[in-house]
Amino acid sequence: MKILEIKNLTIVNKNTNQILLDNISFILDKGSTLGIVGESGSGKTLTGLSILGLLDKSVFEITQGSIIYDGINILDLSEDEIQKIRTKSISIVFQEPMLSLNPVQKISTQLSEVIKLHIDDNPLSQNSIAQDILVKTGLDNTQKILDSYPHMLSGGQRQRIMIAIALVCNPDILIADEPTTALDVTLQLQILELLNGIKQEKNMSMVLISHDLDLIKNYADKVIILKNGMILEEGLTSKVFSQPINSYTKDLIASSPQKLVSENCESSRLLNIESVSCKFPINNAFFSKNRKYFTALENVSLYINSGETIGLVGESGSGKTTLGLSIMQLLNYSGSIYLDNLELSSLPSKQLRESRCDYQIVFQDPYSSLSPRMTIFEILSEGIISFNSNISKRELLRICSELIKEVGLERSMLYRYPHQFSGGQRQRIAIARALSMKPKLIIFDEPTSALDVIVQKNILKLIVDLQKKHSLSYCFISHDLKVISSISHRIYVIKDSRIIETNNTDELISNPQNDYTKKLIESSFIV
Amino acid sequence: MSMPSNFWDKFLINKRNKYSLLIFIVLFVLSLFAEIISNDKPIVLMMDDKIYFPIVISYTDKEFGGYFDTEADYKDEFITSRLKEESNWAIFPINPHSYDSINISQSTPNPASPSSHNYLGTDDRGRDVLARLIYGFRLSVLFAFALTAIGIIIGIFFGAIQGYFAGRVDLFMQRFIEIWSSMPELYILIIFSSLFEPSIFLLIVLLSLFGWMSLSDYVRAEFLKGRNMEYVIAARTLGLSNTKIILKHILPNSMVSVITFLPFRISGAILILTSLDFLGLGVPPDTPSLGELLAQGKENIEAWWLSLSTFLVLVGTLLMLIFIGEGIRESLDSRSS
Repeated sequence: MKILEIKNLTIVNKNTNQILLDNISFILDKGSTLGIVGESGSGKTLTGLSILGLLDKSVFEITQGSIIYDGINILDLSEDEIQKIRTKSISIVFQEPMLSLNPVQKISTQLSEVIKLHIDDNPLSQNSIAQDILVKTGLDNTQKILDSYPHMLSGGQRQRIMIAIALVCNPDILIADEPTTALDVTLQLQILELLNGIKQEKNMSMVLISHDLDLIKNYADKVIILKNGMILEEGLTSKVFSQPINSYTKDLIASSPQKLVSENCESSRLLNIESVSCKFPINNAFFSKNRKYFTALENVSLYINSGETIGLVGESGSGKTTLGLSIMQLLNYSGSIYLDNLELSSLPSKQLRESRCDYQIVFQDPYSSLSPRMTIFEILSEGIISFNSNISKRELLRICSELIKEVGLERSMLYRYPHQFSGGQRQRIAIARALSMKPKLIIFDEPTSALDVIVQKNILKLIVDLQKKHSLSYCFISHDLKVISSISHRIYVIKDSRIIETNNTDELISNPQNDYTKKLIESSFIV
Repeated sequence: MSMPSNFWDKFLINKRNKYSLLIFIVLFVLSLFAEIISNDKPIVLMMDDKIYFPIVISYTDKEFGGYFDTEADYKDEFITSRLKEESNWAIFPINPHSYDSINISQSTPNPASPSSHNYLGTDDRGRDVLARLIYGFRLSVLFAFALTAIGIIIGIFFGAIQGYFAGRVDLFMQRFIEIWSSMPELYILIIFSSLFEPSIFLLIVLLSLFGWMSLSDYVRAEFLKGRNMEYVIAARTLGLSNTKIILKHILPNSMVSVITFLPFRISGAILILTSLDFLGLGVPPDTPSLGELLAQGKENIEAWWLSLSTFLVLVGTLLMLIFIGEGIRESLDSRSS
């Protein structure tokens, strides 16, 4: 039985006249989950927002189509009438739990606001309803949580509260817009299981919007593949995934990271990290004896052989980026880091600067890692000039052209500015910049996390190809075990500032020892 | 309609910005040639078949057949009568008065109301108001440019050091700024103007000592933000020196706040000079200045041409600078539509 039907929906950006959604039609059945998959900018969030009438009317214009819920076209309703449908009948959970809760109001205030509006305006029963729904979303100590402010809670707790607010009125439809993208992998599974459980219990319908194919594959009954505002393919999830028709869908399904590296045989030691610890002061006390510290790394030891990739996997706050920055000598740490048997931390600053050409880093966010006011040529040549100031312009141009070709871009792009490139292209430029120094070791700090899956796959391929060509060593940092396992020879699992498990990739995946590692593998849908 | 992305296109699309900038530039450039526009010496002079350029070269009275070794006074009866002789001529500027020339032949008491001799009247010493306004405007704007330039250089220098090195350097310099900025600027100016011969140079030095702090705060904040940007960290890993990182990476990206403040700082500096002159703490008495004219207007309240004309020049200048400033701010803001 259908509960929501969207017919020929077309949305246009008023200012640019760009068609954002092009003639979209689909049906949501009662008690079922519809997955909407697409890369960023494909219009999936827009679809979700339009169902609730949440689009900014000064920017977006619905030129045709209808959204029929319960026999009524939502698009014809006045703001007041839609208000009655929102949350009560159709609810939404957003991606970012940090931003969707009001930071200056207690959880109880925010939750009872909804209850007062739609269910009951007696404060006493409001409290008990609030407690009930929090228990249902798997939170304990509910009274304490109700009395807290959002910043006192963890990301997972906040997302559960968002779900509680969305579900408190027993809506018929829940729109979950990337509900777990901002959360750590182990939490993702819990939140999705929770949503799925409630859905089944209440016979609710769900629209699950995500870029993550594995998530859709496991939780959606039907799936829609969106690209550039058009539905490319739709059907039963199992069918779409086993027999995709559209070539884009095929690409998308094939983009799930495959094993890209073979076992490594070379064994000369390039980098050796011996019991490195790192701590940050958390209060700003003037005298050092009054300072309190947060330990970001505790007694970490690891090594990288030349020509080898090690993967560093862990959730946010586990210290993996700190380790990367310590290797790059950008942080103060205790312990020793040897590169080619050279103790880096003991080098005087001039020699340290000279040593920097041996190790380079590629950052996560390709938008902030390139200076917006420099051309690509300036960005690529900068490092070369800083080590060889006499180099001729011609030679410089030759080197930069080679670099940019090596990462799969055109020579003519050298004189453009970063904002003229897509995220994937920028990440290629960042890699070219790292290569410009002819390093022995490159640290990749979540290089593909900000990119769409198909782009991610191409970047990973590029990274592996470059390794083979130049026999580079990599330290690959990511929260995504799938990416890590596809590219690494060995894996270090890092949690709460310590390395808790390490092994060759295959052995670690097939035979994890630590409980956390087991949970991580389970949540990553690797099998 | 799509918005122009270029800064200049965005700026010029607004007519108010366009005309404010145009008028200001024209007036300023004209005032740079004040000696040609408003002067008591002729631009060119022909006497006894010889051509003279009194504006550029100073001639003595003797060279025109007079008795004195001092510079010729071209308003003097002796020269004016000689100029009337056949084949002698002189081209005077549009306004034939300089800022310090006193109209002795004035029939009415000073300050004299506007007349065909003095288009905007004279002040209480018989000097031409229009001439003083032109020279005063030039002095104010040049003074403001100098003060702003010095303030920006010092402000960026200290702000950059504080923001880039942060930590202890920042802590100590921030405390220094707090102490320094709590010094009573006005009293120091009063004390210094009684200790030293008042001069433009002294004023610029004294005001620069305090004027950089407001800007360095913004630069500091921009640098604190900029030093943690990934492209800055990337530049460090490329082995660039601190100076290079500051100049090439952070500074160009923090200039937006500096440029936005530029016109407001200029208008602020004009206002400071005017108010100090008004109080008699500014430039030496002979110098043409808007503040001094305003003070005269206060003394001679019935001489409306003094206060009104100065007021209009001052308000006009400040208004144009503020419009330009707002235009720059809007054009630099990428979110504005």
